[in-house]
Amino acid sequence: MRDTVTQLRKEAARLLKEGSVKYVIGYAQGTDVARAAPFFATVPGQVNTLTWTPFCVPNLVKYLLDFRYEDARLAVVVKGCDSRAVNRLIQDHQFPRERVVVLAVSCGGMLDRDKVLAVVEPGAALLEVEDRGADYVLKTDRGEFVFEKREALLAKCLECVDNAPVVADLVVGRQVSPPGRPGVDRFAAVRALERLDAAARSAFWDRHFSRCLRCFACRNVCPACNCKECSLEQAVPGWQQGVCWLSKRTSLGLNHMFHLIRMYHVTGRCIDCGECARVCPVNIPLRELYRKVAKDANELLGMSLPGLDPEEKPLLTTYQATDPDEFM
Amino acid sequence: MARTGVFVCWCGSNIGGVVDCAAIAAQAATFPGVAYSVDYKYLCSEPGQNLIIQAVREHRLDRVVVAACSPRLHEETFRKVLVRAGLNAYLVEMANIREHCTWVHGAEKERAQQKAVDLVRRAVAKANRLEPLFESSIPVTKRCLIVGGGIAGIQAALDVADAGQEVLLVEREPTIGGNMVKLDKTFPTLDCSACISTPKMVAVANHPNIRLYTYAEVEKLTGYIGNFEVTIRQKARYVDHDRCTGCGTCWEKCPCKVPAEFDVGLGHRKAIYIPFPQAVPNKPVIDREHCRYFTSGKCRVCAKVCPTQAIDYGQEEKIFTERVGAVVVATGFGLFDWSRVYGEYGYGRYPDVITGLQFERLVNAAGPTGGKILRPSDGNIPRTVVFIKCVGSRDEAKGRNYCSRICCMYTAKHALQVLEKVPGARVYVFYMDVRAAGKGYEEFFQRAVREGAVYIRGRVSKIFRDGRRLVVRGVDTLLGRPVEVDADLVVLATAVEPAAGAAETARLLGVNTDRDGFFQEAHPKLRPVETHTGGVFLAGACQAPKDIPDTVAQASGAAAKVVGLLSRDQLSTSPMIARVNEVLCTGCFLCVPVCPYRALAPKKISERLPGHPLREREVVTVNAGLCQGCGACNAICRAGAIEVRGFTNEQLLAEVDALCL
Repeated sequence: MRDTVTQLRKEAARLLKEGSVKYVIGYAQGTDVARAAPFFATVPGQVNTLTWTPFCVPNLVKYLLDFRYEDARLAVVVKGCDSRAVNRLIQDHQFPRERVVVLAVSCGGMLDRDKVLAVVEPGAALLEVEDRGADYVLKTDRGEFVFEKREALLAKCLECVDNAPVVADLVVGRQVSPPGRPGVDRFAAVRALERLDAAARSAFWDRHFSRCLRCFACRNVCPACNCKECSLEQAVPGWQQGVCWLSKRTSLGLNHMFHLIRMYHVTGRCIDCGECARVCPVNIPLRELYRKVAKDANELLGMSLPGLDPEEKPLLTTYQATDPDEFM
Repeated sequence: MARTGVFVCWCGSNIGGVVDCAAIAAQAATFPGVAYSVDYKYLCSEPGQNLIIQAVREHRLDRVVVAACSPRLHEETFRKVLVRAGLNAYLVEMANIREHCTWVHGAEKERAQQKAVDLVRRAVAKANRLEPLFESSIPVTKRCLIVGGGIAGIQAALDVADAGQEVLLVEREPTIGGNMVKLDKTFPTLDCSACISTPKMVAVANHPNIRLYTYAEVEKLTGYIGNFEVTIRQKARYVDHDRCTGCGTCWEKCPCKVPAEFDVGLGHRKAIYIPFPQAVPNKPVIDREHCRYFTSGKCRVCAKVCPTQAIDYGQEEKIFTERVGAVVVATGFGLFDWSRVYGEYGYGRYPDVITGLQFERLVNAAGPTGGKILRPSDGNIPRTVVFIKCVGSRDEAKGRNYCSRICCMYTAKHALQVLEKVPGARVYVFYMDVRAAGKGYEEFFQRAVREGAVYIRGRVSKIFRDGRRLVVRGVDTLLGRPVEVDADLVVLATAVEPAAGAAETARLLGVNTDRDGFFQEAHPKLRPVETHTGGVFLAGACQAPKDIPDTVAQASGAAAKVVGLLSRDQLSTSPMIARVNEVLCTGCFLCVPVCPYRALAPKKISERLPGHPLREREVVTVNAGLCQGCGACNAICRAGAIEVRGFTNEQLLAEVDALCL
């Protein structure tokens, strides 16, 4: 993956030198061996901090929203899955296409941090990573470690059969094949939940939602959550509970409300980047909740994954004359 | 804190007979914000209204809850009461304890009592948070668009035009007249349909206030009540109607014969044609699909024989854009295609099984047989004619659930006509019920029976051919035995259904349809000609199956509404419409495509955000004339930037809390 890093740095330096972008938003090595941190390169001298490893999980597209009310042009490094978020922001009129330079990296899958840290000491220094197709070789100052992709990748990566970016100005690095096995059932986890009876399913979500802290991390990281002010935090004057739709109290009922409201808000707009589940401090499998909607939209209404095509209308804004509900 | 007054209506025994209204009022007095509460026998009556006005003054009330019937019935009444009491009209909230409670829970009085109290608690919670709302005014374009040139459209056009307003009448066929001019005689008076409708057609053509667009369709309708913009697409007729004198030489000489739509396939017309001799306009069009010149490139006979050089093969369709203030939809009906589903009647394979409309053409003096009743298969006079009613009507399995209303009467008329025109003829009518509600209708039906029509109550299970005759096998349910009739001709009373393309028309004009596809009126009893889209009215069978008298009455009703609307210079708009909180709006514009009234559009605002210089950005804005307050935008706006006035989040959540907490 050295070539990719070199080319990424070269392109970043070029963009910053030309002055055509204000920042290049990419990844830097994080606080331990299995972590990558978002990094904003502002001058060409900083580009050597940029890196590309199988730990570059965060979806950086969300950062564009911090600059939506400015005129600056920004470059952002995306994986195939993240690139759908760019399309979504364009569709939501939150960021104009001409103000973003999309640096797409061909991604061979992201390693599960926990599985890596079970083997590698967190303090080890990552020197180089080699993508050998079926596995990654991590070269560190404490030795070499081989991780078979089939075993060590994130669940979402094992379901990925198309890693090509849906929008890109530059494709950086060598093309690698997607990590998912062709024909893999993307919705296997959803189907497993669907097979449970209602009581068991209810118990499943009760168990998870009862732990929710309402920290809003899932909302903060979500590229579909691009409101100026979240409707769940709008204070109503004189309203004793403090917020309009939901009090700040955490209880199972209110947590259910919170997650179902959020589910409806991302309906037809969730690009399935999986960031919500990743950042959840109590490990609620939020992805499965939103993917249930995506699965239904696909099976019942033939909708493709949001963000694939900037021209495709979001689910809740489409109406077909053949719709069986002749309500208009 | 609000000072809310609660008024509980008995509605005679409608409410008072099931629940204890005085107890409801007493309990309501304990709800937060309630300053006064009382019950009364009829609140909508004059003394009832005065009671409210009196109470508002005496107890300094600033919100009013009326616990009575549906707001669709009397909310407007009580708004006016509030204005008379010196309050803003929108500070009233109805609690529907009649339709939603006593009418449906009459058998469980105790639980009904509890529910009524809950509904009042809900209404009080909302009323406490009501805000005064103010109407605004919009100008009116004094011109009316009428879509459909059948008898409904014609009548509405003449009435509006006679009242001095301009009318644009759009008809998709080459002539106006619709279905009515195809009919022979009309029940129950047996006056000739053409004799009573063609003079009206001529009156339309000659009226100085009516502009006629035949062979034309409405392509787009934008705008709102008082200010619509309509795009009309007129198909190419390939005949210059300014030059054409309607002499008829072209259609005499045209070598192309085509089955005539006007004769429902029983007769023929030419490729250049007028649908029938009294057509308005009485000038031909060329049917491009069948014309020899257009299909093979050779012929041009009509151009050669035309004395005024009116034939123009190069004519193109025309687009007209007009501004109108009101729209009347009068697109009429079509007939159920029985041949698709009624296998037992031969799937349309037997030429002597015809529909009622085909029979009208057979018996019509201007029809393909010159008014002689002849079998389509061999041209012989039928001696035994069987009529089958409810073909597709009242048939959940194969057709429509509803009764088509006109078939009982026209079948009685057909029976009489057969008996009159074919001496010694035998007439059998298979029926489910005879529904003859109408002035002179029952008498007319009895006359058909007296003259010798044999009515057999029962369904026909099979029609099959036996040599030259058709055998109709059914059951007489009154005698409880099977019946078999050898018939020469079978006439099916097929169901009335919405005209072809009605669903498309509904979308185009922003009109709702009911579950059968007919256009939905705003209220079945009290607003029968209005739609839920302001300024769009309904006339005739596009709203529901209707006979001619009802159609004409409704058309005149719609015309009265139009004239009432156009007689005003300014209109006030409902303030219960969407409101955008521009600070919260992110400008994603997902609301724009979901708005069925096209009332939302982007606009630029200047805004200073913390840490940013003043800059422009786009947010959504509501057109007060177009918005009907349906709330679709409210529902899709995640940011909560759109609310419907009178139904704000705060008000709705207060209602939910009042009911559920």
